[in-house]
Amino acid sequence: MPFISRIQRQSDYNLFSSSTPIVIDNGSSYFRIGWAGETDPRVVFRNIVQRPRHKATGETVSIVGDHDPALMKYFDCTRSGPRSAFDSNVVYQFEIMEYIFDFAFDRLGANGSEIDHPVLITECVCNPVQSRSKMAELLFETYGVPSIAYGVDAAFSYKYNEQHGVCDRDGLAICPGFTATHVIPFIDGEPVYRGCCRTNIGGYHVTDYLKQLLSLKYPHHMARFTWEKVEDLKMEHCYIAPDYVSEAQLFQKGAKEAEDKTRCWQLPWIPPPAEERPSEEEIARKAAIKEKQGQRLRDMAEAKRQSRINELDNELRGLEFLLTQLEKVEECDEASFLSKTGYISKQEIESALMKVTQSLRKAKGEPKGDQAEIDEKTDLSANEKFPLINVPDNLLTPDQVKEKKRQLFLKTTSEGRQRARQKRHEEELERERRNQLDEVKRLENPELYREGLHAKYKELFEKIEQRKRLKTNGGHTNGNNLSGGVGRGERLNAAQRERMRLLTTAAFDRGKGEDTFGARDEDWQLYKLMSKDNDDDDDGPDEDEAELTRISSRLQEVDPTFVPKPEIGTLQSTEMPRLRPLTKEDFQVVFGVERFRCPEILFHPNWIGIDQAGLDEMAGVSIRRLPSRGQSVEERLTNSILMTGGSSLFPGMSERLEAGIRMIRPCGSPIRVARAMDPILDAWRGAAAYAAAPLFSTQTFSRMDYEEKGEDWLRRYQLRYTL
Amino acid sequence: MEPEVIQAEMVLPTHLSFKRIQMYEKYPKGQSRGRHWKHLKQIIQAENYQNYPPDEPNYVNIESPPSMHPCKRICDITGYEAPYYDPRTNLRYANTDVFKQIRSLPNEYVQRYLALRNAAVVLK
Repeated sequence: MPFISRIQRQSDYNLFSSSTPIVIDNGSSYFRIGWAGETDPRVVFRNIVQRPRHKATGETVSIVGDHDPALMKYFDCTRSGPRSAFDSNVVYQFEIMEYIFDFAFDRLGANGSEIDHPVLITECVCNPVQSRSKMAELLFETYGVPSIAYGVDAAFSYKYNEQHGVCDRDGLAICPGFTATHVIPFIDGEPVYRGCCRTNIGGYHVTDYLKQLLSLKYPHHMARFTWEKVEDLKMEHCYIAPDYVSEAQLFQKGAKEAEDKTRCWQLPWIPPPAEERPSEEEIARKAAIKEKQGQRLRDMAEAKRQSRINELDNELRGLEFLLTQLEKVEECDEASFLSKTGYISKQEIESALMKVTQSLRKAKGEPKGDQAEIDEKTDLSANEKFPLINVPDNLLTPDQVKEKKRQLFLKTTSEGRQRARQKRHEEELERERRNQLDEVKRLENPELYREGLHAKYKELFEKIEQRKRLKTNGGHTNGNNLSGGVGRGERLNAAQRERMRLLTTAAFDRGKGEDTFGARDEDWQLYKLMSKDNDDDDDGPDEDEAELTRISSRLQEVDPTFVPKPEIGTLQSTEMPRLRPLTKEDFQVVFGVERFRCPEILFHPNWIGIDQAGLDEMAGVSIRRLPSRGQSVEERLTNSILMTGGSSLFPGMSERLEAGIRMIRPCGSPIRVARAMDPILDAWRGAAAYAAAPLFSTQTFSRMDYEEKGEDWLRRYQLRYTL
Repeated sequence: MEPEVIQAEMVLPTHLSFKRIQMYEKYPKGQSRGRHWKHLKQIIQAENYQNYPPDEPNYVNIESPPSMHPCKRICDITGYEAPYYDPRTNLRYANTDVFKQIRSLPNEYVQRYLALRNAAVVLK
């Protein structure tokens, strides 16, 4: 049941004589206005005003009530939301109230110079006189209303239902409204306000609670839970459980009944286009294209190689030709011949020839290794290769000394190389030996061996991970490391933070006292510490990591089920929930417990932090507050309990209320709970019937009365409901 | 204005014949609006209810007293009956599953759950 508004402009305003009262039910959620004596209000709308800006013209306009949301797109509503004239259930913003009256009278068809009809308007129980007098002022001064009467909505509803035989002259009106809940005892057909009580909880709180719970439960769909939508959901799905605890237990156990009671709201969801598997031909075609491209590249490389070989061949032939020519040339002409060719000496030509031959060989792809082989062989005969080393310096010429130094250098490097080779070889042997040992162990007891390996792997993995964490997180292990470093302190590692500290102290450490920086040599060390290169203090390739890779490869060999754990970085990305494709279920809003949890706050206001008695207890409070008590009166009261007001529409309300009141009443006392014929409109109908009575005019007051009698009189003003 | 907006008569006209004082006369443009309306708390304070006999009903003394029944404690997350209470987050919870959930909740959500029953930490 969504909001029902009736805002068509009435055309028969002028047909009513000026003595016909206008009846207004000014509720904090709905405003209803119509003519006395009629059965239904003429105009009904939500008691709110919006003042958005018209997008096209930029002017601020007033929009009263709720309109077609499609038309709201022409207005910029971001600056101001809907506003109400009410604070709790008391009118305090008379500017907004005025907009509402403007709209209401306009839609009722008013077109004269003033509103020349008596007005009966509802107010809350014990309305503060300030609000009353402001309302009177507004109606008298701005609209020219001749006379006013104030009444209480719940009382009108009770009287209306009494006339229709739903309740008796003595009874209790329980009125859970929009912002407050009242219990009013009636004795001899008149409300006794001394026995009345109010709890500041109502339909507004139920909707708000539901809205909050749903947006906490489904944070991704928060924007979907607009006030209007949640209000609709509340009216459609919420009910009052006969016993909250047992009902909740049904859901907790996941009983079949609970499943039936769960409601689901499917939000609009479009399945993502299913990824089609490429067909065979497609795969083949793609492979062919790839192959073709590869072939083209290979061809290109081959062509390039060929051209280079040709080029080198030509160069080689040229050089050889040059050499043969050079041999033919006379000794003395050699210099002039060489200068023509551009080479300086024969040796140079020869070395160039050598180079070209080598690169030609390389280009043709012939093995190049023989050079190294030769090296190795010459190594064996080191002594022959370096003949000068063992000769003392004093026996040598200066040239020979130079040569000796060179030989010494060459020898040491080649020896070093040899030693490295030796070491590698030894390591290989060691590894082999360990593998064999491992193998022996494995064959002895494969289970134990595997377990041991797993344990070792785990230990190492954790150790490395811990170290990484320390490095990235700067030692702040805050429990959930996988969420990554958040906040400034955690992003830097220890060294970086130290650097930042140094920089900041250096930047701000001036002014105080004498500047002694540089007096000592150690001061300059600071710059070294600050320099950027300082911060990666990696201790080279990590032994642990090497060991880890060894173990994991070994594990993969022996244990086919083993899967090495991913690195921390990759772990993070796989944990992101967004990577999962969204399904239909992600767009479902499920209400189970919420359906009866939200309206339950009417019975337990302290669930939302309002420390007041709930609906059932209020009845007891109300009876206790009555000045004239007696068993017969109390029995008559509980025998005619009327529920009215919008929040009494929840299914299961009367049963629960009856059970609750039975608990606080003496055993055997008669209890009858009835729901008003129409909990929402009965207040207006009762008021309309009341205003149509001939004696109504005795209950109104005019502007003159108001001005003569003053505020104190207005404070005590009270309608007589039985005329 | 767009034709459909005019058709629906959404926008309240600025001049209405039945009014003695028009809105623009009462609240001229450029003046701060809405500031001078007393809130309910201020209204009640100005009413000086303490000067009147206590058995005379007024807006304040008709309020219901606190409940005499023991408060039923429900799980803040699920709404089930809550036998437990988490001293770290102050949330009430029904079982271990919910406990796991509340321990993984970000603080913002914890505070919002607490705010629902007016128990959140309010920083001033």
